Amino acid sequence: MTDTATGGTGAASRNRDSALTRFLRATEIDSRILGMIGALVAIWVGFDIYSGMLRPSDGLFGGTFLTARNIWTLLVQTSSIAVMATGMVLVIVMRHIDLSVGSILAFVAVVIGSLQVFWLPQLGLPIGHPLIWVIALVCALALGGSIGAIHGALIAYAGIPAFIVTLGGLIFWRGASWAVIRGETVAPMDKTFKLIGGGISGTTPGSIGATASWGIAFLICAGIVAGLLYGRKQRRKFEFPLRPVWAETFLAVTGCVLVLGATYVINRYYWPTGVVNRWAEQNNVTVPEEGLDISFGYALPVLIALGVGIVMTFLATKTRFGRYIYATGGNPEAAELAGINTKRLTVWVFALMGTLAGISACISAARLDAASNALGLFDELYTIAAAVIGGTSLAGGLGTIYGAILGALVMQSLQSGMTLLNFESAYKDMVVGGVLVFAVWLDQMYRRRLK
Amino acid sequence: MKFAVKTLLASVALASVMPAASFAEGKTIAVSWKTFQEERWKTDEAAIKEVVEAAGNTYISTDAQLSASKQAADIEGLVNQGVDVIMVVAYDSDAILPSFQLAADSGVKMISYDVLVEDPNALYVTFDNVGVGRLMAQTMLEKGKTEGNFAFIKGDKGDPNATFLFQGIMEVLQPNIDSGAIKNVCETFTDGWKPDQAQRNMEQCLAANNNAIDAVVSENDGMAGGVVSALEAQGMAGSVPVTGQDGDHAALNRVALGTQLVSVWKDARVLGKTAAEYANQIAEGTDVTTLDGVSTFNGGPKGVEVPAFLIAPNAITQDKLAEVIDAGWVAKEKVCAGVTAGSVPACD
Amino acid sequence: MTTPLVEMRDISIAFGGIKAVDHASIDLYPGEVVGLLGHNGAGKSTLIKILSGAYRRDQGEIYVDGKQVEIYNPRDAKALGIETIYQTLALADNVDAAANLYLGRELMTAYGTLDDVAMEAECRKVMGRLNPNFRRFKEPVKALSGGQRQSVAIARAIHFNARILIMDEPTAALGPAETAQVGELIKQLKAEGIGIFLISHDLHDVTDLADRVTVMKNGEIVGSAKVNEVTQDEILGMIIAGKCPPNATPGPGAVNL
Repeated sequence: MTDTATGGTGAASRNRDSALTRFLRATEIDSRILGMIGALVAIWVGFDIYSGMLRPSDGLFGGTFLTARNIWTLLVQTSSIAVMATGMVLVIVMRHIDLSVGSILAFVAVVIGSLQVFWLPQLGLPIGHPLIWVIALVCALALGGSIGAIHGALIAYAGIPAFIVTLGGLIFWRGASWAVIRGETVAPMDKTFKLIGGGISGTTPGSIGATASWGIAFLICAGIVAGLLYGRKQRRKFEFPLRPVWAETFLAVTGCVLVLGATYVINRYYWPTGVVNRWAEQNNVTVPEEGLDISFGYALPVLIALGVGIVMTFLATKTRFGRYIYATGGNPEAAELAGINTKRLTVWVFALMGTLAGISACISAARLDAASNALGLFDELYTIAAAVIGGTSLAGGLGTIYGAILGALVMQSLQSGMTLLNFESAYKDMVVGGVLVFAVWLDQMYRRRLK
Repeated sequence: MKFAVKTLLASVALASVMPAASFAEGKTIAVSWKTFQEERWKTDEAAIKEVVEAAGNTYISTDAQLSASKQAADIEGLVNQGVDVIMVVAYDSDAILPSFQLAADSGVKMISYDVLVEDPNALYVTFDNVGVGRLMAQTMLEKGKTEGNFAFIKGDKGDPNATFLFQGIMEVLQPNIDSGAIKNVCETFTDGWKPDQAQRNMEQCLAANNNAIDAVVSENDGMAGGVVSALEAQGMAGSVPVTGQDGDHAALNRVALGTQLVSVWKDARVLGKTAAEYANQIAEGTDVTTLDGVSTFNGGPKGVEVPAFLIAPNAITQDKLAEVIDAGWVAKEKVCAGVTAGSVPACD
Repeated sequence: MTTPLVEMRDISIAFGGIKAVDHASIDLYPGEVVGLLGHNGAGKSTLIKILSGAYRRDQGEIYVDGKQVEIYNPRDAKALGIETIYQTLALADNVDAAANLYLGRELMTAYGTLDDVAMEAECRKVMGRLNPNFRRFKEPVKALSGGQRQSVAIARAIHFNARILIMDEPTAALGPAETAQVGELIKQLKAEGIGIFLISHDLHDVTDLADRVTVMKNGEIVGSAKVNEVTQDEILGMIIAGKCPPNATPGPGAVNL
């Protein structure tokens, strides 16, 4: 899938291939990912230039979009949907759908919100107790996972279509979240828990600062290089054709430059003066005339989304669990006949989806610093849209985790960019809806051409 | 402020005439709810029931379950039962007009409760909704900012209330905008009045203006929560006044903490109590137009003039928190959670 | 040759009141090819799916090597060395040949992850034997030709030391050359002592390759016979009319004349 479009036999046909085709074959890059990154870059640059024409600022192209601050915010805003989209890919690959994630998110959020604000304090853990955020987090994962498992069991063992079960879930859990708090808004969240959302709690930011961000960046670079070397070693061991050395080097350098560049940009977003002054006051530091530049660094929700992305990619491509999900999506009967317990697999996939909704619930509630039964409204649609824009086929069997994350980023970029430009929300919806359909059409054209 | 006083006086005046009426034979007062699945109507019902029964009258109710045809059938049934007064929370204010006509023909007096029904004979009892927007803006000018960069976080674009509110807001702020004192730097609708959406919009607004925002007019408390979170991330919460409405518990806590300027509060119990007191009087035969405090209203879509009583909402700022606590709307601990001792009088 | 490799005794299964297989008994010895014949809907695929674990019987017993066994699902069947090549091939179209070859029994690395490279290497070896021209290891099997897909399905069945092989219409999608290749393969497997159930429409295929034939009609066994003891016309008579010739052992479905 990654290399040949022609099934190329013989040197003659190979010579006719364009430079791009040869490049893609040598590096084994999925050309769809290139397309998506291209689209993302076009959106970003377009917004920056356009916003610069309206109101010049210090963005890369003179606008307000490609500033460190906006990129930082954009990533934080994407994280909740991105986390859920990774799970939605697997659900859709298995030829199911989950319409209930937004409602699960709301239910988990109001439960852990009430837990922090009402229940735990009543049980003797005073507000601000260091255990509260841990308990809230564990409960969120367990609760989300259990709800997902119940949905999965109904789908797998009771034989009710996923569309119906999760449509029921969409309505049920939204109602249940209302019932838990009777329509009230629960706020504020625990001071430590709040950091999961990436915001500032007093003078403690929900991000890791410049040094740790660089540390993570170098770790990822090392990972990229190690992965390439390991792959090469494996290929050599089994005497497979190797990638040309220039292609390997290109991949390593490009990967590292991207990671380090992103980190550089992120680290250029500094604490706002209000927070710096408060911090300086508390720590008896005098702020110099020109101000103090303290970097936010990567925000916790972004790191959570990144971690989820890596774990989910690993699950999808390197474990039996993932292999079985894709095989079942490709041909459920064949998977069954190959001895795969597809029913249990279904339960696990939905449980995983629920757990991810639980993680997103923590991110959303922590970010808003409040939990209400309106949280996550329409999120199921954005999550499905992210997966589909990212190349997941609703017919099942096809889809990638990184695609879904990129899809979420594309969608959020459009929304943030248009907000930045003061678009009316009616037009925003029209653009996002149009892009969804256009992306799927483009993807289908591409696949057809591939055949 | 003066609206609130007027309301209080009106209620007191009504309450004092009540006992005289209550010795008469028991009348039946019915309420046709458009739905009973939302908690707020339970608050209204409790207030209405209490006043109706205190006067020796009987309270009955029907639930239209969000169906215009069910509501029409409900009203017909109530008329046939021979009730004296029907209060209607209309689901569809146009479709229900024939039912109002039918009731009037049968000699049953009608009250449109909270939702306007443009029948010139029916008394309309509601909160002054345009007034909420005006009140927000007035409070902003009196206790917040009178000049600078203003951000406007509006509700759902599909909800006419979002636009009504904005009209009220602009009515008050327009002179300052025209004079250039106030600059409208961002103005966005918020899908479904979602707090997280409001937060994103506010973040974008702050980024686009490099944090140069002096005041935020948010159309409700939920969105105000999102706005305050966005401000807090920039270390600006507390220094930028933010408006809201609904009297959300979390919002009242923010008012106490100083991160939100005002929550405009419409006390459903005042609405219920007022309407029930009128119902009692109408049941005794008092003519609607001679009722104390009733004026006329013609601000509906068709411009029909109806007898009306508009209850002024109450702008709850930090110095007025005691009112919501004393009214039993919210527990003191909730309002005062995390408040530094001595900083807010209502919390001491 | 005293103990049959597989013996299915008195097997019945019904779907919604319709008896798809009715008191059928069948056996298979090592190194033997038994052709299973009958019209569409005669019950031969159903009978065989009970053995491969895709269906659960309502009644009857299954013996492998003389020992009674329980087969609840395809995993149980595979554990007993029973492998199946389905008429539909039962391939996961969206993954590559190696993933299909090892579906359900993946090779794992020491860290508990999928060892894709090792699986591909093994796949190259197996396919090299079955179909030396096969090169498209990285493509999803959806992109392969009918014959290539067939070889993947066959490779999957024989790669795991099958002792009992069920082939459901193995040549239906193939051209003459590939059909001949499958024939060669069957002879080779037979020589290795593997027992094969061969289900086919094509009488010639069966008479060429099978040692015995068993004919089914309306869910019942008409009879079984050694291929060299009955004529093709007699076999056709069994299939069409349920007439059991004198040289055959009659079953419950034989028409009494």
